[in-house]
Amino acid sequence: MAEYSCLIVEDSPMMRQLLVFALARVKNLRVTEADDGVDGLRKLAAARFDIIVTDINMPIMDGLKLVKRVRTDPVHKDTPIIVITTEGSQEDRQRALQLGANAYITKPIQAPQVIATVKELLKIE
Amino acid sequence: MVEPRKSAHPPSDSPPQNLGKERDELLKSLSGGQRLTDEVVREYQRLQHRLMELETENAGLRAKVETDVAVRALLEKIENLEAEKSDLLSRFQEAEAGRFEFGAQAREVETEFANLANLFVASTQIHSSLSPRGVTRRIKEVLAQLVGAESYCMFLANAEETELVPVASEGVPSGALRPISVDEGRIGQVFRTRSATVNEESDACEGSLDEPAAVIPLTVDDKIVGVIAIFSTLSQKKRFSTIDFELFKLLGQHAAAALVSASLFVQAERRLPGLEAFMDLSV
Repeated sequence: MAEYSCLIVEDSPMMRQLLVFALARVKNLRVTEADDGVDGLRKLAAARFDIIVTDINMPIMDGLKLVKRVRTDPVHKDTPIIVITTEGSQEDRQRALQLGANAYITKPIQAPQVIATVKELLKIE
Repeated sequence: MVEPRKSAHPPSDSPPQNLGKERDELLKSLSGGQRLTDEVVREYQRLQHRLMELETENAGLRAKVETDVAVRALLEKIENLEAEKSDLLSRFQEAEAGRFEFGAQAREVETEFANLANLFVASTQIHSSLSPRGVTRRIKEVLAQLVGAESYCMFLANAEETELVPVASEGVPSGALRPISVDEGRIGQVFRTRSATVNEESDACEGSLDEPAAVIPLTVDDKIVGVIAIFSTLSQKKRFSTIDFELFKLLGQHAAAALVSASLFVQAERRLPGLEAFMDLSV
C-alpha cells in the first residue's frame, strides 16, 4: 500500500497537535510539522511531500506567501495544498484559491472535515 | 388379344380343344392378377402417402410438444429467477440498511474521536506552560481556535470577591472593558451562581459586551475565582455545539487552576518543590 507524506505548516502548537491527531486517522499518512512558512519551505526543500496543510495567519511568512512559493517550486508545484484560516469570507477563499491552493478549511477546524479533504485530494478511499 | 385362327381340320400337331379353353382361362386369370397387382400397387402408394402425411403430422405435434415443454421450463426458470431476484433485492436492502447504519455509527465514532481529541489537546495545552502569560495565551488559543470565539475576556475576582477584573481579552476595543461588580449583569450572575450561561436568543456571532454569547465560571478546587465571557464568535459560527459545552466545562475546571499553579510557580521563583513536599501524601 502506498505511503503518503503530509506537511503541516502551523504556528500554533495547539493547532498542530490537533491536526496531527486528526491526520493520524488517515492510514499510511506520515506527518511532518513546520512552525511557519519559512520552516515549511525548509522542510519542502529537504523532502518531497504529497500534500501540504497550511495556516494562513502566521508570523515570518504567512500561508498565502507559502502557497505562492510552493507553486513556483518545480518539485512541489502540483502538490495539493489545503489552507486553514480564521477568515470565512469569500474574498479570502478566492485569494487562496487563485494563488494555487486546492482546498480551504475555516476555523474552528473539525477533524472529520480535515480528514475528508486530505483523503479527497490524495484520492484515498 | 388375337384370337387363334380356327380351321376345318385340325392339324395333327394342334392342341386339343380343351387346351385352348384352359389357355383362355389362364389368360383371364392372369388379367385378373394384373388388376389385383395394380390395385395393390395403388393401395401401397396411397398408404405410403398417408404414412408420409402422418409422419409430417407427428413431427409437427412432437415439435409443438417440445416447444410447450421448453416454454414451461423457461417459465419455471423465470419464476425461479424472479424469486432469486426478490431474495437478492431484499438482502441488498438489508445490507444497504446495515451499511447506512454502520456509516452513521462510523461518523458518530469519528465525531466522538474528534471531540475527545479537541478536549485532550485543550487540556494538555493549558497545562503545558508554567508561566501565567503562557497559560493565558493557551487559554486564549483554545477559545479562538477550538471554540471559534472572536471577542472574549477572562475576568478574575478581587480578594474581597466584590469585583471581577478583566485580565486578558481579545477582539474587544481597548477601554471598553472595566471591572464589573459581582452584582452586575449576566457576568456577575454567573459568578454568583457558579453556573455557565449561553445566550440562546440570538446567534452566537451576534453577541455583544452587554449580551455575551456565553459566560463560563472559573473554579479552583470548587472555589469560584472568575469567569470567561465570550462576547461573540466568528461569523461562520452561529451556534455552540456539544463539544463547545465540553470545552467550557474543561476551561472552567482547568484554566484557573493552571493559571494559579503558574502564578505560584513564578512566586516560588520557578523552583520546583523538593521531595519533602511530596513525602506526606499517604500513598
